[in-house]
Amino acid sequence: MSAISNSATPEPLLEVRDLVKHFPITKGLLNRTVGKVHAVDGVTFRIGRGETLGLVGESGSGKSTVARLVLRLLDPTSGQIHFAGTELTRQRPAELKRLRRKLQIIFQDPFSACDPRMTIAQVVTEPLEAHRISTGKAARRTAAELLERVGLAASDLDKYPHQFSGGQAQRIGIARALTTEPELLVCDEAVSALDVSVQAQVLNLLRELQGELGLAYLFIAHDLNVVRYISDRICVMYLGQFVEHGPADELLAEPQHPYTRSLAAAIASADPHRPPRWDRIMARGEAPSPSAPPSGCRFHPRCPAAFEPCTNKFPVESTMGERTVSCHLHDAAEVLSHD
Amino acid sequence: MSTLDHRPAGTGRLTSFGRGLLRFARTQPFGSIALGVIIIFVLAALFAPLIAPYDPVAQHRDAIQLPPSGEFWLGTDDLGRDVFSRVLYGARTSLLVALATLATGGVLGSVIGIFSGYFGGRWIDSVLQRVMDTLMAIPGIVLLLFVAALLGPSVRNTIIALSLLVIPSFNRVARGQMLQIREELYVTAARANGCGVLRILRTHGLPNLLAPMLVVMSLMLAIVMIAESALSFLGVGTPPPTPSWGLMLSDGSRYMEIAPWMVVFPGGMLAVAVLAFNLLGDALRDFFDPKQIR
Amino acid sequence: MTEYVIRRLLYGLLVVFLVTVFVFLALRLIPGDVVRLQLADAPGVTEEQVDRLAAELGLNQPLFTQLGTFLADAVRGDFGQSFQDGEQVTTLIGERLPITLQLGAMAVLFGVLAGIPLGVLSAVRRNSWLDQSLRLVSVAGISIPNFWLGLLMVTYLALLFTWSPPLVYQGPTEDLSSNLVHLALPALALGTSTMASIARMLRSSLLEVLHSNFIRTVRAKGASELRVIGKHAMRNSVVPVFSILGLQVGHILGGTVILESIFGIPGMGMLIFESVQMRDYPVVLGCVVVYGAVFVLINLIVDVCYGVIDPRIRYART
Repeated sequence: MSAISNSATPEPLLEVRDLVKHFPITKGLLNRTVGKVHAVDGVTFRIGRGETLGLVGESGSGKSTVARLVLRLLDPTSGQIHFAGTELTRQRPAELKRLRRKLQIIFQDPFSACDPRMTIAQVVTEPLEAHRISTGKAARRTAAELLERVGLAASDLDKYPHQFSGGQAQRIGIARALTTEPELLVCDEAVSALDVSVQAQVLNLLRELQGELGLAYLFIAHDLNVVRYISDRICVMYLGQFVEHGPADELLAEPQHPYTRSLAAAIASADPHRPPRWDRIMARGEAPSPSAPPSGCRFHPRCPAAFEPCTNKFPVESTMGERTVSCHLHDAAEVLSHD
Repeated sequence: MSTLDHRPAGTGRLTSFGRGLLRFARTQPFGSIALGVIIIFVLAALFAPLIAPYDPVAQHRDAIQLPPSGEFWLGTDDLGRDVFSRVLYGARTSLLVALATLATGGVLGSVIGIFSGYFGGRWIDSVLQRVMDTLMAIPGIVLLLFVAALLGPSVRNTIIALSLLVIPSFNRVARGQMLQIREELYVTAARANGCGVLRILRTHGLPNLLAPMLVVMSLMLAIVMIAESALSFLGVGTPPPTPSWGLMLSDGSRYMEIAPWMVVFPGGMLAVAVLAFNLLGDALRDFFDPKQIR
Repeated sequence: MTEYVIRRLLYGLLVVFLVTVFVFLALRLIPGDVVRLQLADAPGVTEEQVDRLAAELGLNQPLFTQLGTFLADAVRGDFGQSFQDGEQVTTLIGERLPITLQLGAMAVLFGVLAGIPLGVLSAVRRNSWLDQSLRLVSVAGISIPNFWLGLLMVTYLALLFTWSPPLVYQGPTEDLSSNLVHLALPALALGTSTMASIARMLRSSLLEVLHSNFIRTVRAKGASELRVIGKHAMRNSVVPVFSILGLQVGHILGGTVILESIFGIPGMGMLIFESVQMRDYPVVLGCVVVYGAVFVLINLIVDVCYGVIDPRIRYART
């Protein structure tokens, strides 16, 4: 079992088990399926109430697919998603709609997430009207309050999305996500498109909101720095699978999987005063295509420490305390500590 | 559109419409001229009974095939009918048929296209698109002739035939646009926000379709007007004595050498109207899509 | 590439099949059966005659049996016999189709030969008075109804040159010059809109290419302007011209119907027009199916050429 938290809450807010999403590749006359993209290949995790789980990985690792699966914007190939005690994958549209009030998402590009022809009032009240929570003046009032809460002004209601900066637009996205009083907010690369200074402001806003509203976050990003800042726990994803998972501080201080190490090395090297305590390991080359994942350990073609079993044997998960890692270096026989 | 608008109903939209019109006039000179021509044309058709100096079907026995003069501005035809009055009433027929076609075929084609586009790639899309390909494989006039042969010539049947002709075009544009809109992140966001298919189509689909649909409408009006005249010209469209440009052309074609005004004026009016709709369509396309410079 | 051609071919066959089913069902589902529609105007028709004709046409059988028989016959190229003179529909179409195809081909040839130089001229002399007037001519060319143009041509060109088209149509094997002269004017009237469309499309695609980085590179290497346009820019502008040709197929085919009747050319168009007036349903049906098949076939050829010219399109399409 990977990525299961020891969070105090007995029942987690979100529990995802063995989630799989394959996209078929079709070709030829009859659209016969010639292959499939293993976007998400058996992913398991939990998020407790008020907790933040960070999800890092390169582009193409399947992070955003996980986000869309959790919200049922995509239908999973297999696996289960339990949200607040309900199994999402088997819900009918009406029930799903009700559950979506408690489950919201913020996207990477705040501008394309808003219909350019709508005013901010229309953008922000869309969920209120869709869920028939409120309409008209009441909805507008809610929208105004939320705008002020995220650091904008009520007078912005009649403006259009293109009149805002990226950071402001993302605040609008946050305000919209909050209208239905969600319990879980999925942030899909929510700050990746912003300037670094603006990133910090939006991250701080998200933290404040978490404190006030008791929100849980599934925080997805390719930038480990950003994830580290906001997450309680971190999952590292590579080609549709989790390679390592653990509490944020521990995972970054002592990365176990070579892939995590290469990611951590990349950010550590940005700070010259604090040289890394481990050898600089860099992954070689580019990630292979998820339509033809490598045999054995999916990371082995790029792994600097790959040895014989890596090429043909799937690594087993080793668990130590709150951490898990899937790597032959850490198979039962191996010693955990290194160097 | 919105219940949130606390301003008096309509005023905000009206001023923004006015502003848009001004910008159109400034950036699209040809389009504006075309729009002017179309407005004149519509007014002439609308007020034909007030403007026309004669009854369009009245036969002046002593004035057979007279050339244009002060009395008969555009001359008379082989039965002594006033060509100017007939051209005016012909505009009426032409416009009426064209608008009725848009109201039926245009709407139907758009609705099919919108649904097909939203469900792009699923079986319902496939089925609808095969039907459209079938309709499109039959050349326009041939399809019109076929329907005329089945149903017989009448204004109503002309409209049915023309509707079949325009459905695939509207479908193609609406579907293509919808396929694009469907992939927009704001539609995904709307789904995450709990919007159902109909709400998404209404709030995100239709408003974003409006611009391209206006362009097709303008271009299709041109095509429909030509097709209607062609059908009447062949004698399987609007039945006589209803004044129609196509009928006038076919009457006049027998007397081209001695009474060319019988052909030149209705055909010229048709050409000008079609030109105006084409120019307006092009101008609207440039106006809505400034990236595309032609 | 082969797979692409086969795929397009199969899809084309499907569309022709659907067209056939469509026309057949449309004909049978309208109120009043074919026989009564046909005999509607004939005086003194007895019920017996109606019944006999109906039995002859197999109209007393269930709809799907009829459809099956019709399709089975159609596959063998048998669309039945004309009500008018008992002639095989296939024979009639076989005689008329080549004439229409020749007219269409001449119109396209004119459109391409005239449209390309106009488009190039317009693009090279961008925004000059020449460009402006050429653009106006293009829009006008698209807007002028081809039958009106045909009518004007047949009168005024005749007056101007004291010449008129031959009264009797002669096939290319009988009298080639008479044949070409006869078809020249309708081809001109028909090809005008093709010419205008090509000129417009070529102008805009040439302008786009001329402003692209790769042309800037070619220029920077010191190539002459003639070479820049003639070799590099044109090659990249041919693709849109092909797409225009694809869009014009239906327009040209449809246009032949009306121009044939103006100029007295005994092609497919004349055949279907006369048959519609006579309510000669077997002929109408056969004509619609054949028009559909020709349309699909020509589109297929255009698409395959398109794929050959621009390999990027091959997989993106369909």
